[in-house]
Amino acid sequence: MQGLVKDLATLLGSTQILSQPEEMLAYANDATHYFKSRIPDAVVLPHTTEEVAKVMKYAFEKEIPVTPRGAGSGLAGGCTPIHGGIVMDLKRLNQIVEIDGSNMTARVEGGVVLKKFQDTVEKRKLFYPPDPQSGCVCTIGGNVATRAGGPRGVKYGTTGNYVTGLEVVLPDGSIITPGGKFVKQSVGYDITHLMTGSEGTLGVITGVNLRLLPLPEADRTVIVVCETLEQAAEIVAEIIARGAVPAMLEFLIKLAITIMNQYFFPPLPTDGEGYLFMFFDGTEAQVEYEAKLVSEICHDMKAKEVRLVEDPRAAAAYWTARANVYPLIQTIFERANSEDITVPRNKLPDLVRAVQEIAAAEEVMIGLAGHAGDGNMHPSILFPQVTPEALEKSEFAIDKLIRTGLDMGGTISGEHGIGIHKSKYLAWELGDIQIELMKRIKQAFDPKGIMNPGKIWMEDGDKHA
Amino acid sequence: MLRLEDYEKIIAKCSHCSYCQSTCPSYLAEQSESSVAKNRLLIIKEMLMHENLPFTPRAQEIVDNCLLCTNCTQTCSSKVPIDDIIIAARIKIGQKGVGGIKQFVMGKMLTQRGLTGALGKAGSLAQKLGIATKEIPQLASKSFDKMYSGTYTPAGTVKKRVAYFVGCGTNFIFPDTGEAVVKVLNHNGIEVIIPKGQVCCGIPALAEGDLEGARSMVETNIKLFTGLDVDAIITDCTSCGMMFKEKAAKCLSDDDPLQEKIAAVTAKIWEVTDYLQNQGLEVPPGRLDITWSYHVPCHRGWSPTVKDAPRQLLGQIPDAELREFDIPEQCCGGAGTYFMEHREVAEKVRALRLQDINNTVSDVILTQCPVCRFYIGFQVMDREVTHPIKILAQAYGL
Repeated sequence: MQGLVKDLATLLGSTQILSQPEEMLAYANDATHYFKSRIPDAVVLPHTTEEVAKVMKYAFEKEIPVTPRGAGSGLAGGCTPIHGGIVMDLKRLNQIVEIDGSNMTARVEGGVVLKKFQDTVEKRKLFYPPDPQSGCVCTIGGNVATRAGGPRGVKYGTTGNYVTGLEVVLPDGSIITPGGKFVKQSVGYDITHLMTGSEGTLGVITGVNLRLLPLPEADRTVIVVCETLEQAAEIVAEIIARGAVPAMLEFLIKLAITIMNQYFFPPLPTDGEGYLFMFFDGTEAQVEYEAKLVSEICHDMKAKEVRLVEDPRAAAAYWTARANVYPLIQTIFERANSEDITVPRNKLPDLVRAVQEIAAAEEVMIGLAGHAGDGNMHPSILFPQVTPEALEKSEFAIDKLIRTGLDMGGTISGEHGIGIHKSKYLAWELGDIQIELMKRIKQAFDPKGIMNPGKIWMEDGDKHA
Repeated sequence: MLRLEDYEKIIAKCSHCSYCQSTCPSYLAEQSESSVAKNRLLIIKEMLMHENLPFTPRAQEIVDNCLLCTNCTQTCSSKVPIDDIIIAARIKIGQKGVGGIKQFVMGKMLTQRGLTGALGKAGSLAQKLGIATKEIPQLASKSFDKMYSGTYTPAGTVKKRVAYFVGCGTNFIFPDTGEAVVKVLNHNGIEVIIPKGQVCCGIPALAEGDLEGARSMVETNIKLFTGLDVDAIITDCTSCGMMFKEKAAKCLSDDDPLQEKIAAVTAKIWEVTDYLQNQGLEVPPGRLDITWSYHVPCHRGWSPTVKDAPRQLLGQIPDAELREFDIPEQCCGGAGTYFMEHREVAEKVRALRLQDINNTVSDVILTQCPVCRFYIGFQVMDREVTHPIKILAQAYGL
């Protein structure tokens, strides 16, 4: 890598290149810091698509790995530069280019922070639903790259459902703009959605066209306390079966509630085992009806308590706490490894039972906090202490969890992506033929293999870290 | 005791979730990962605690570039006391003798005269050394302690009795705030005692890593306020309040005999608008046709109600209308003496703040922090920036 920093400085100017060891340390991994990390050789901070293209063209010529990065809040190790080289920090591509109310569309640069975008469109009574819980920091480019989602997935789907077009810098530095401002298109292969979820392995996402919805006029929050986890899961399955469509339907265990209670007044009772947080949005009449219907279902199914939250500030507190569950968990455990399995929603009670059986059999603690409404559970292995023995047990338990989810017709990742964290399981879900196809697609886009190498599938000789 | 070694386990609680990016002013200004709280911790851990990598001048710069605004600490769901860890790191850097002349000079100034030592007498020296900005607030012709001292008793019945801790900002730069505090409290039947011999609260010294200096100030002030027969101890400055409430005890060892007195004094500390709102106004304020915006000081975490107190208190003034900023809690970049030592970053942070300020139309900007008051004031020409208590005084016709 001799001369790398000098060359990059010539391309972009020295203020947009970082190479000192203190800086590199800050770019060695994402929120899975306990996992694998690798110090990059240099970091570039481009402001424009053209600057991104310049760097890619250079890296392509020199065959230097490039790892694109948004906020670094990912949970799969996707932006860890495991082969060193250049990390491309895209946070400075942060302009909201256009919000077109008459077309209900928007155009943003890849580094725009999700919450900033949502706040901006909501001021204009528009709505962008995808809601990964790191919304206060994560970037829309990162969301597209990981096909991210959150609690609103149950009603509104995830990022991929809103992307209508992209601007992408390919590994050789050429710029393509698949899709566009239109909301439908039937023209050849859908490269827009091939890039969506490609985790930086095919190109750098510098611009995104998004579809918007009208901002719902009313909402209701309903909190349900259940005797057992199974009861909570059965209520979820029943709600879905009866045709109610909450905008969010979250499943939490007592442990999570005890640490979230600092946000609530009055605190939630802790004599239940399972908890459901539900959010309905739409017209006033619609939310009134749905909240009532769901309350009835919960009462019929003998929930311990159904709390209809009227005060908007109190309701906001429940959802803020929900967004903070992952970091909150770390206040009491030394580590929490969050999994992302997603199953058909009628399998939820089976999954909950299976998780408890696995936890008991493997002698590990498994927390459950997930987007039950869309079947996306986040079983988390909780480590009171990280020891080699605990790590071994945990790996065994995760293997079993994933196998169980797949056997139920589920998937290994609903919204986090594969990165390096879940590459071991890719073949379990997709099989060799699909992986081979993916490799050939990668080859077509990135013949020199410089784009975020080592991600999604395992490389020869890879060991699960 | 703010010993870096004691934070080993606590640093491990950082989940690297990155949520601190959302409120860290130096990150928002610089947009590079080494400027954000979680990575400052990583650098401190690797370079100062574990010494896996050598502690370099750049690493020191990264530790120094923190404004100690505490926004990350307030944002952190894992409850990592990031500001304390930064202070502990600066103390350790000072002990290792790598702080350099800048830290030495600033430390000395602050020890002797508090915030104003750095701003006033020493300001020109700081400028000569090239470490200060040209934007330095004018000192008042007569400091507050030259005008007010002793006991101020209200005209009617004495409902409550408070002692008043006067911070450097009010004492040397904005004595008008202090005057309004005394008058408004008296008007509401509250007796005010202003003990003689108060010194700087110690937060500027502590921010420089000067534990000794901070400790001596804490000792002086605590001895002065111990044993007073008062219902509360009032400050008009949120940073002084934070120093008493959250930091004072940490400047001394756990078994220091003074700890008991610190606990007794700090239990009574209130920011003045927070106190008045909590007590309820004895006299309803008069009509005041004014629109105001509220810049919430960063050092608000020590009281759950301090950020809403001015809103509720001034909400009782007929015709006074609050025009909220988009992000009322966004840091202005002043941060004690930070704006003098890190002019470039401070100005970037302020430029971000000014976008919001300039988009919000109002007659006056209110804040309980004297540094925000002058640092925003340097760039806002179309309206006054002042303390909320002054508007209340105005509504009372005081």
